[in-house]
Parts: sequence; C-alpha cells; structure tokens
Amino acid sequence: MEPKQPIINLEGIYYSYPGTPPILKDLGLTIFKGNRIGLVAPNGSGKTTLFHIIMGLLKPSAGRVNILGKDRQTEQDFKDVRRRIGLLFQDADDQLFSPTVLEDVAFGPLNLGKSKEEAIATSRKTLEFLGLDDFEDRITYKLSGGEKRLVSLATVLAMEPEVLLLDEPGNALDSGMRSRLIDVLNHLSITFMLISHEFDFIAETTERIFSMEHGKLFQDDEVHVHTHRHSHRVGRQPHEH
Amino acid sequence: MVRERNHRAPEAKAPNHRGRKNDDGRQTCNSQPATRNLAQKTKHKTLNTKPNPMITEPFTVGNSFVHRVDPRLKLVFAVMLSCIVAVADSLSTLFAGLAIALLLIVLARLDGWAVLKRLAVVFGFMAFIWVVLPLTYPGVPLVEVGPLQLSRPGVLLCLKITLKSITILSILIALVATTTLSAIGNALHSLGVPGKLVYLLVMTYRYIFVIENEYQRLIRAARIRGFQPGTNIHSYKTVAFLTGMIFIRASARAENVYRAMLCRGFNGEFHTLGPVAPYTRNKAFTVLTSAAFIIILGLEIWNQSSP
Amino acid sequence: MHIAEGVLSAPVLVGGAGLALAGTAVGLKAIDYDRITRVGILSSAFFVASLIHVNVGPSSTHLVLNGMVGLMLGWAAFPAILVALILQAFLFQYGGITVLGINTVIMALPAVICYYAFRPLLFKAYKPAMVGAFACGFCSVFLAALIMGMSLIFAEEHFLEVAALIFAANLPVMIIEGIVTAFCIAFIKKVSPEMLPGYGGQRPEDGGQKTDDRATGFQKARK
Repeated sequence: MEPKQPIINLEGIYYSYPGTPPILKDLGLTIFKGNRIGLVAPNGSGKTTLFHIIMGLLKPSAGRVNILGKDRQTEQDFKDVRRRIGLLFQDADDQLFSPTVLEDVAFGPLNLGKSKEEAIATSRKTLEFLGLDDFEDRITYKLSGGEKRLVSLATVLAMEPEVLLLDEPGNALDSGMRSRLIDVLNHLSITFMLISHEFDFIAETTERIFSMEHGKLFQDDEVHVHTHRHSHRVGRQPHEH
Repeated sequence: MVRERNHRAPEAKAPNHRGRKNDDGRQTCNSQPATRNLAQKTKHKTLNTKPNPMITEPFTVGNSFVHRVDPRLKLVFAVMLSCIVAVADSLSTLFAGLAIALLLIVLARLDGWAVLKRLAVVFGFMAFIWVVLPLTYPGVPLVEVGPLQLSRPGVLLCLKITLKSITILSILIALVATTTLSAIGNALHSLGVPGKLVYLLVMTYRYIFVIENEYQRLIRAARIRGFQPGTNIHSYKTVAFLTGMIFIRASARAENVYRAMLCRGFNGEFHTLGPVAPYTRNKAFTVLTSAAFIIILGLEIWNQSSP
Repeated sequence: MHIAEGVLSAPVLVGGAGLALAGTAVGLKAIDYDRITRVGILSSAFFVASLIHVNVGPSSTHLVLNGMVGLMLGWAAFPAILVALILQAFLFQYGGITVLGINTVIMALPAVICYYAFRPLLFKAYKPAMVGAFACGFCSVFLAALIMGMSLIFAEEHFLEVAALIFAANLPVMIIEGIVTAFCIAFIKKVSPEMLPGYGGQRPEDGGQKTDDRATGFQKARK
C-alpha cells in the first residue's frame, strides 16, 4: 500500500507577533484525510495563530507549509487553500458580514464562481442540512449566539470544503445547540480539526487529541472513555451529563 | 478572634456606614439608601444616544401595496419626486406634493404615531426658522405683534420650507424606509451604483448594531463606576476615551472580518443576489407615481408661467 | 450639522451633489478592496459615536467627529460620511434625500482639509500633537458650520440671520469637539497608534493599519 499523502503537513513552523517572543516554535503538524482531531490548550498558546497560518492569513518566519499536496508560500497558493479548507472563526460576528443569512451563506459560493442561481441553491441546501431552512431571510445581527454559530458553519460548509478548521465552536452554546452541532459534525464525513476547552465536546466528536505547549503540538493518546466524580446542586433530581 | 468580633458593640462600626435603627434599637449597616441615590442621579442625567437603546426599523415589516413594489422603482421615484418638490416654488404644487406623499404613507399602511414621531425630528429646526425668518425677512408685514413685524414673504417662505420638508421626509418614510437595507443595496447595485460604494453601505449597516452594542457595554461600565455626564473636562475626556475605544475595537474587528472574507474566497469582486422577493405591484405603482409626477410638474410649470 | 430638506435652492443642491460625487469618486479610488472593510466598519463606528450626546450647560448636543474621521481615513472620509448620512436618513429620517450631497460636503470637505493640515502634527511630541488634534477638532466643525452658513446664504440671501445664528450656536460645539478630539487622539496614540495613517511610514492614503503580515492588497506587487 502506498503511504498516504498528508492533507496538511507543517514542519518547523516559527511565528511571533511583532514585538513579542515566538508563540510557535518549531511546530509540526500532520493531518491525513479522514482524521478528526481535537486541540486542547490554554488561552494564548497559539491555537488560533496556527489556524491562521494554515489559511495563509499569517506568514511564518520559518518553516514549511504543505497543504493538499503542495508547498504553499504565495498569496496565490493560499487562494486555492481557502477554496478547499474552511475556517470557522471564534467570534461569529466577524464571520457574518452580510445583512441576511442567505446572502452570507451565498457569499462563499459566489466567490467560487458559481452563478446566482447555483449559489442560492447550494446555500439553501446547506441551510437545510443544518436544520436552518427557515432562517434564509433572517437578519444576521438579530440571531442568538447559538444561531449565529450554526449560520457561520453554514457559510463555511456552503463552499463544500475538504477540510474544516473550527475555532472553539462549542463556545457559548446552549445544550440544545451543542447537541445539534455534535450531530452535524458526526454526520459530516470530512477531515476536521477543532479547538475546544470542553473535553466532553471533544470526546464526542473527535478520535484523537492534540495539546499545545511551548509553541509545539503534542499528540495525546487515543481518547479514553472515563467518568469523573463530581457534585453539584440539585444532584438528586434525575439528570444527564 | 471570632468571639471578640461578636462582642463588638454596634456603635463601634465605622462612622460612614449609613444605617437605620431597627425596632429593637440595634443599628444595622444598610447601604441601600446610598445606592438608591446614585441610581436616581444617573437616571436623571444619563448619557443619551438617540434613539436609545435599540435602533429599530419598524417600517420595513409589512405587506401593503408599497411593500410589494420592486425597490428599484421605489428608489427612482423617491428621488424624482423629492427633487421636484425640493425646487418647486408655488404653494399649490407644494400642497399637491404633500397630498401625494401622505397618500403613499397611507398606502404603505404604516402606524400613524410612528410616522409622526419620525417627522417630529424636524420640528426643532422648523420652530427655529418660524421664529427667525418672519422677523428678519424684509417685506410687507403680514401681521404686527406689538413692536415686531412679521413679514409676509418671511411667513410664506417658512410655509414653503415646512411643506417641502414634511413632504420629502414622508416620501423617505413611505418609499425608502419600507425597504430593508439589503434590498436597497441590491437595488442600488442593479441601478448602476458602483459595487465598492454599495458594499461600503451594506458593510457599514451590518456593523452599526454590533458596535452600538459594544458602546452600550462600555457606557454601562462607566455608569456603574459613577460616571455622571456634565459640562466639565472630565466628562469630555471620558467621552473621548469611549469614542477612541469604539474606533479601536472597530478597527480590530475590521481586520478579523476581512480575514473571514479572505477565507471565503473574497477576491475583490462584489456580488449581490438580486431582488429575491416577488414584487407584484410594480405596474400599479409606476402608473400612480408617474401620474403624480406629471401633475406636480404640470402645476409648477403652469404656476410659473402665469403671473 | 445637517441642513433639512426644503431649505436650499436648486443650484446649491445640485452643486453640493456634484461636489459630493467628485469627492466620493476620489475617495473610492483611494481605497483598495482590502481597505474597504476597514472603511466600512470605521464608518459604523463614526455613525454610533456621532449619536453620543455631550452636555453643554443646560442642554446637550451630539458629537460631529468629522475631524476624527478625516484624520483616520483621509479622502475615504467622503464615501464613509456619505454612507453614514444615507443610513441616518434610512434609519432615523435625519437629513433627507436631496440634501445628501450638500450635507456630505459640509462634513467631509472639512474632514479632508483637516487631514492634510493636521495629520503631520500627530506624530510629534505630546504637546504639539495635542494642540494639533484640538485644532483639528475645532477647525473641522468651524469649517463645517462655515460651509453650512454659506450654503444657506447662497440659496437665499435673506438667510443671513439664520446662518449667523446657526454659526454662533455651533461655537461651543467647536470647542468641545476640539477637546474631545485631542483626548481621543491621545488615547489612540497610547493604546493603538498603528491605527493612525502614516504611523511607521506606511502610505498615508492607505487609511491606516496594515491588515496583517502578509501583504494582501490586490494592487500591491507580489514580491
């Protein structure tokens, strides 16, 4: 069997924000097609920076960025990356910049060169897949936090990416929305990497976990199912975790 | 240690604790009166952002005759009618214009009170000119109030200005405010307005509410720390810092939004989806507004040509 | 700083619209597509900030801030202010339709003038920078009130008293704007100086901060 080509391969990446010590130091990352990876790390460790480097929004001071089989260096290289990898931003308000939901979801397909009709059709299909079919004409800023999150996901999925990068998707979601999101992620047969603080969320959606320390990635072992003992109020009432 | 504290006499409490004596004579530390005063004070002189706190668009929702017209038609006629009313000079033309504007409002089935509230924004300026112009405009006096002479041309000018103002604002409400901004953006783009400008309009609109929200959080934080706006340097400094903060956060957000756009393949071209909702009353509307335009134009020409 | 509908004559309205159009064209050309997002969101910030009221003795007035916009955006102040005025007309029915042009000129022309006059002072030491910022705030409102008064008189010579009264009423606003602009610039210089155009030797027409390390301007040459 031929060795599989990694879909994302970073080697020796260094990055520092102007005037600060390097936040990524000799970082390496290899993701193969079909991987579902979780990334857990404290705030400020460089997780978002890593995603931005993959998408070509930031340029590392050293290292090799090889995505979907090609080395990527120029803006033109990354334009191709952005068509094929989707990034879900941490702040949904940064990602929803059109007045209505339909226009926002159609933004990606239109930029990919689809005609208006095709873009609208793809957008509707994506919204339906996420259970958001009656959200078409809703005004983006009036949505709730969880709704905004799902709509942002729609805007990214509408481009039919091969890989998804999700920056804290579970943040500030109520349990209903969380389970919807977990369902969606489990139904999508797509390579993805997601950042989260919540172990439960990661356990339910990913197959392996990475952590980040001192500017490098470390792969933890396979996810183990285990229970924690804890206590909280109203514990005697029947409930689930 | 604990025992000592329990034995401390109530009167030994710090002198600036405002307290009430209980029924049994014990003084309790009661800080409520102090906070109540602060809350009252801040309510009395709050930092206003008109309209506060939510910016609403009450007229865009509706299913009337006007709501079912293609926004492009509405925009074109709004501009045409406003222009002709703005430069008209005879009273009969202006009254006709007002009648048509009010007719459009009725056809749009808008809430009368809401419309009046919006029209009220000009009342301040109108009151100002009604006081100043009749007194300062030279001409045959219409009325004499004691030593003051209110000139006829002055009063006439005020009347014309008032009529024009209310007419054009009503057209604005009936035809423009009844369209969502996204539809307006689409309409402008298909009418030939450059993509960059339309995009700017839509982007600005989109983030007004986000930034307004951020501003509310900032001002609330200031108020909680006792900020009371007044005519002093401290107030102006605080406002300046708030404003600076708004701009800085906006700039940071703009960076993130731009990155999000790049990630969705943005390459400098601006696309719109075009009119989405079916518009069924286009023909009737065109007939009505064309007739109105012709009537007004005709009246004005007729009035100008005859002495 | 708005003139209401129905007050001005045709020549002033048309002239104003023409100037506004020209200014907007120049402004739009000066911003590449990678800057437009920033201009738009700053325009939103300008919109929200101009709703802030400040106390002036027993009454209150709202901030104009065209000086700030000029300092931050340069020629892009024209389209930014035009768009903000359109949205004010759309959301609050302030201003109007036929007066969009002249109102844009009233606010944006002083903004651009002050940009050229005072921007160089911003990066000097504290005192000259503060004086420059105060002057910018003061002059931008002064010029706006002047243009407003002139438009009124051009339209109708008997508006002289009206124009004079409006100008006089704006004198306290000029002073307050000067103070607010000065402190605002001081704040920005301390917290986030890269926001101001010309910082660190960037092209001032860029309208400020470079978006990120990777030069993403579509018209910038690829190295």
